Amino acid sequence: MSAMIINARTSNNHGMVAGTSVISHAVNVNTNYLSQAPQPGSRPEAPMVELKGVCKRFGSLQVLKNISLSVDKGEVVSIIGPSGSGKSTLLRCVNYLEKPDSGTVSIAGNPVPEDESALNSARARVGMVFQHFNLFPHMTALENIMEGPVQVKRIPKSEAKEIALSLLSKVGLSDKAGAYPRQLSGGQKQRVAIARALAMQPDVMLFDKATSALDPELIGEVLQVMRDLAAEGMTMLVVTHEIGFAREVSDRIVVLAGGQIAEEGRPEDILSAPLNQRTREFLAKILPPTRV
Amino acid sequence: MKESMVSAAVFIQNILPTLLRASGVTVKLTAFSIILGIAIGTAVALMRISRSKVLSGVATAYVTVLRGTPLMVQILIVYFALPQIGLRMDKFSSAVIALGINASAYIAEIIRAAIESIDPGQMEAARSLGMSYGLAMRRIIIPQTYRRLLPPLGNEFIALLKDTSLIAFIGGEELTRAGQHIISATFRPWPVYITVAAIYLCMTALFSFVVQFGERKLLQ
Repeated sequence: MSAMIINARTSNNHGMVAGTSVISHAVNVNTNYLSQAPQPGSRPEAPMVELKGVCKRFGSLQVLKNISLSVDKGEVVSIIGPSGSGKSTLLRCVNYLEKPDSGTVSIAGNPVPEDESALNSARARVGMVFQHFNLFPHMTALENIMEGPVQVKRIPKSEAKEIALSLLSKVGLSDKAGAYPRQLSGGQKQRVAIARALAMQPDVMLFDKATSALDPELIGEVLQVMRDLAAEGMTMLVVTHEIGFAREVSDRIVVLAGGQIAEEGRPEDILSAPLNQRTREFLAKILPPTRV
Repeated sequence: MKESMVSAAVFIQNILPTLLRASGVTVKLTAFSIILGIAIGTAVALMRISRSKVLSGVATAYVTVLRGTPLMVQILIVYFALPQIGLRMDKFSSAVIALGINASAYIAEIIRAAIESIDPGQMEAARSLGMSYGLAMRRIIIPQTYRRLLPPLGNEFIALLKDTSLIAFIGGEELTRAGQHIISATFRPWPVYITVAAIYLCMTALFSFVVQFGERKLLQ
């Protein structure tokens, strides 16, 4: 296992412009912990996330129609598409926050179990970042990050604190360890939420419109953390409206329309030469006219 | 006029120790009933929000019956009817059980409403970390309800304290009953009932103050 140097960004509370990477000093943080150790039971040859024939309906509304999708280890896949196309539901099916009506979901080659306690441990290996952060308001930033390792993984508090502090410095918020969520800006909250998910040392990270609830000037700092994470080789499944980010960071873009995968492929192909009519319509609405 | 006022003051001074001793019983009744009410109420609230249709059905029926029948009748059933089927208890235990069970129905609804007022995203975030439902409830959801629980629970406890006066009707020696005893010996209902009412008011006012203080503490 090679030692890994994590670039800690200076904490920049004034927001960071997308694309600027302010690397002030490199610190060696708990290297074993942050490098991707293979989890017991994972098969290296299997895709990290694999959905086969996933269907989901809410009442009479068929939200997902026979979705099959696989994400390799270290791959960053962005899911884009019109609102109501089922992007969030698809993401929530990956860790069974929504239970698919039919079809299978596998993480690292292991089918997501139905059994409640096995499902809990499967969920612990999938990090999720929510549109509205969902930080625990009665806990400080540090306690939010420590909660999973201490309560779920039963890691000693002192060790969990070390992990949490190193993650806070990774997301540039070392000075906010003692702050409660209400004392943080939206961008800071989301960075703490990312750290909280990372503290469980997940195999894959799910981002559900992670920047949609943020003021425009705060989006950059969150995207930067996500960009760093992608560069470190984290497997990521990202539902986003940030087409620029999807183009720059993703290995693959999946276009979802009407609960089906309309098109998937490399960002440059999808965004500049979409084959599918529905992709063209969607992109025409969100991209400046000169680009389409 | 002045003379009768003086005599009333002396009279109240004389009966006050007896009444204050009886209010000790009232406070004890209230305290035990609150503890029983919170214990059962929490369990019933968790049953009501559970996914099991049986559990939530039982809990709903429990709340409906206990809220839908008079507390007086419930007290009479516990004290006079239960012994006929072999459940014999002293007056104090009967009173605590009747008051506590009645309060538990209201407390269950207060707790359920508080839990349901917490953003569902909190449960999702906790579950996404791999927490079990029970752990998420204990660590994430329930602690967030405390501040929202305090004002309605305070109201409920004040109502409960006043409802202990109904125990006089089964002969429980609490504050109201002690007043009745004095009246039957002295035939002076005015100063006695006014004093009894004033003591209740002091207790509830003190309690409101404690609740407000607690609220401020939790707000910090």
